[in-house]
Amino acid sequence: MNTLLEAHEVTKTYEKAQRPSLKKVSFSVAAGEFIGIMGASGSGKTTLLNVLSTIDVPSGGDILINGINLRRLTGKSAADFRRDNLGFIFQEYFLLDSLTIRENISVPLTLQKLLPKKIEGMVLTLAERFGIAPQLDKYPSELSGGQRQRASAARAIIKKPSILFADEPTGALDSGSATELLNTLLEANQELDTTILMVTHDAYAASFTNRILIFKDGQIVKELSKQDGSRHDFYESIAAEVARLDTER
Amino acid sequence: MAFKNLRKNFSYYKLYLTSVSLIITTFFAFTSFSMNRIMLDKISENGRVESMCNTISIFLMAFVIFFMAYSNRFFLKRRTKELGIYALLGYQKITILSLLTFENIFICFGALGIGLVTGAIAHKGIVAGITALLRLSVDNALIPLFNVNALKKTVGFIMVVIFALCISNSRFLFKASLMSLIRFEKKAEKGMAFHYCPAILGFVMILCGYGLALDIFRGRKSVWFSIGFYPVGMLTAIFILFGTIFFISAFLPYVMEISKERKRTFYTQIKIITIPNFIYRIRSNAKTLIMLTLFSAATLTISSVMALSLYYPIAAVSRMAPSELECRIEKGDQVEKVKQLVSEYAPENTVTYTQTDIYKVTSKSLNLPMEYSVGTSKGDSDNQALLREKGFECISYSQYLSLLQAQKREDVIKDLCGLKDDECILVKYQPNTDGSDETGKTYLLSVNRNDILVTVKEVTLNNPISFANSVGTLIVSDATYERIQLGGMPKTSILSINGETIENQESLFDELKDLLENSPYLQGHTHRINEIFSLSSSTFLLIGFLVVLFFIATGSILYFNNLSSLTDSKEDYEILGKMGYTETAIRRIVKKQIAVFFCIPFLFGLIDCFFATIVYKTGLMQNILKNSLSLYVPTLAAIALTAIIYLIYYWLTVRSCCKIILKS
Ligand SMILES: Nc1ncnc2c1ncn2[C@@H]1O[C@H](COP(=O)(O)OP(=O)(O)O)[C@@H](O)[C@H]1O
Ligand SMILES: [Mg+2]
Repeated sequence: MNTLLEAHEVTKTYEKAQRPSLKKVSFSVAAGEFIGIMGASGSGKTTLLNVLSTIDVPSGGDILINGINLRRLTGKSAADFRRDNLGFIFQEYFLLDSLTIRENISVPLTLQKLLPKKIEGMVLTLAERFGIAPQLDKYPSELSGGQRQRASAARAIIKKPSILFADEPTGALDSGSATELLNTLLEANQELDTTILMVTHDAYAASFTNRILIFKDGQIVKELSKQDGSRHDFYESIAAEVARLDTER
Repeated sequence: MAFKNLRKNFSYYKLYLTSVSLIITTFFAFTSFSMNRIMLDKISENGRVESMCNTISIFLMAFVIFFMAYSNRFFLKRRTKELGIYALLGYQKITILSLLTFENIFICFGALGIGLVTGAIAHKGIVAGITALLRLSVDNALIPLFNVNALKKTVGFIMVVIFALCISNSRFLFKASLMSLIRFEKKAEKGMAFHYCPAILGFVMILCGYGLALDIFRGRKSVWFSIGFYPVGMLTAIFILFGTIFFISAFLPYVMEISKERKRTFYTQIKIITIPNFIYRIRSNAKTLIMLTLFSAATLTISSVMALSLYYPIAAVSRMAPSELECRIEKGDQVEKVKQLVSEYAPENTVTYTQTDIYKVTSKSLNLPMEYSVGTSKGDSDNQALLREKGFECISYSQYLSLLQAQKREDVIKDLCGLKDDECILVKYQPNTDGSDETGKTYLLSVNRNDILVTVKEVTLNNPISFANSVGTLIVSDATYERIQLGGMPKTSILSINGETIENQESLFDELKDLLENSPYLQGHTHRINEIFSLSSSTFLLIGFLVVLFFIATGSILYFNNLSSLTDSKEDYEILGKMGYTETAIRRIVKKQIAVFFCIPFLFGLIDCFFATIVYKTGLMQNILKNSLSLYVPTLAAIALTAIIYLIYYWLTVRSCCKIILKS
């Protein structure tokens, strides 16, 4: 499998901070993977995601996505890169309140200057797959949390990004909605071949992924792979690992 | 903690402070002015200005209260979530209240301090401006920088306002539950249903209002005359008022909703954000927007009408008093006495004296122009204090020419080309309302028992003699004039005096007035202009205060409103950035959204002002000048000034918004 993302000794120290939030983090992601990133609060997960997704700049190290070194991107080229390659889902839904769900999902496509007919077709197909077709003409405030999160997942996936970044997407959802969303993500990963990088601190959510990087104090301390086991086995091993790290502290 | 808060919310407080101090500046400057006995004694006769000051100060106070209440409520709303969090953390309401009160008092006192200093300076500036404009002699040292009474009044008033605001804040806080505090900011944005009826109603009402206004152009046949000026005026105002309300709250969102159907333009990276945002904002801010629109319509209309009503009489002075000085000679030795007096003020060779004999001639013709009989009965024309006999008042062509030469009206002389014996030029008092003129008409002049037939070769508005001395002036050829002279018709003798050296000599005018025993026939060109200035300057000044206040309020409210709405959706812009919108595209979205909110009040104000000015000019002003675009120069100036002020506020708003949104 070809490498999609490669991080090489990525370091990030915030201004005014004494200790680095990321310390020489290196790993690579192959196309089509579903990666989970776990770790205690403050261990640097969000920082890593921001750095990988061009929202923030690392203090050191190199990041390559599709062979492009992010260091070379500035301002407009970074925006264009995000438009063409990256998708985002956040813990809070961050849908635009004044736009209907249909319009919200359409926004990334208007950025790619597609024709209205094509946009509408794509939105409808994806909405049906995500089970939010009946809500398309409603406003975000009229939807449940799970529906909103699926809408924002649809918005992230619709432009077929090379990588989808998700920062605790299930954090604000009840377990039913969380499962629905995770299944949707899994489906996108398996059927649309979307590469996903998902931050979570929940072992259940993490069990949907193929591979997990566990962070502590800005470093990868452990890597877990699903291999051929069932999701349940994977969940057990993640939970055990998390418990072990907790007691270590 | 309060200090920390002040620092944190500085960008908001900066403007709060600025606008409150601007308001206080205006208020203090006005109060100082209205309590400045030295100035009032100079410009006011029998308490006119004083009573006007009192009226306006009531407006001003109401306005200060309104504005301070609005901005206080605005800031309170912006802070409720924060206050809610304090409450959640276990702060007692009384603690939160004292925090809020402390902030409020801190800002208002800061503003008061700034406002008093700048207000005192502004007051000095105004006094200096007026003395220069009216050429008054005022000892500036006698006017104190801080008028103690005005100071007391301003400080007292503002204290009362602050106190009242604190009470209203505490009532708000104590009534509000914890839940409503935290949830206050995000009101339900449901109910985005669109009502077809009010949208169409708004549109139709606006059209009706403007249609009614335009109807005044039909002259005598229009409803303004057949029903009456005031009822129709009221009706139009009501149409426009309610039309504006429905137009903004229903028609605009309706149009936007429809424009979404045009998919090709809607599905573009900018429009897909701006159009829904606009609909959303207009839903939640319709009231503010309507209020601002009515404000700016009122401001623009008042300034335009005011400018017009000052400019017009001044432009008309060239008709009311064409010569620098003009009087009627009623006694034999008056000419010599007048010349004697004038020579004391100006060297002999710089002044021209032109004496004109005007002969009154009646006519038996049927189709006589209105000038023939104008001013012969009471109520005909308010400009004429004096009643006259019916008839044409004839002067000769060469007299006309020499008067024009003395008055240095080269452009009029250039277009003249002589008169044949049976021709004449008719001087119009005002252009006929239906646009026709008397060129080609013939009149029979009765001189003794003979009738002289003259044909009107042209009509003119360039009267060489003031209306006080001659209305219905007919300029006849020298030969005809001689025949009239020989016929021994009744005559009046007019002395016109011209020359730059006697301009602006008010004491010469006063002495002439004494010499001629207060004759109503004495007219002075620059005297008239000075009189108009001193009569209207105080009105202007006072209205000016109001207009400035309007501008400050409108601009600040627009600024607050845009800033808060864009800050509320700050996260939205972060997302747009993550989705791949470039900084330029985000900037464009921000600009567009702000521009719409500035444009609606301005454009509405502009259109309303345009129609109101037309109605005022056509319906209420005497039309003694030719209708030309140059008459609207003051209106255009008022509009241009407004546009500039709006542009400055727009620029400031865009700058602050972009700074907040693109900070990261
Ligand atoms: N903008 C920032 N400025 C300074 N320090 C920050 C900033 N954001 C995060 N940090 C610090 O970096 C570390 C990692 O934070 P973060 O990546 O948000 O953790 P996580 O998402 O795993 O909870 C924390 O110690 C945090 O205090
Ligand atoms: Mg985080």
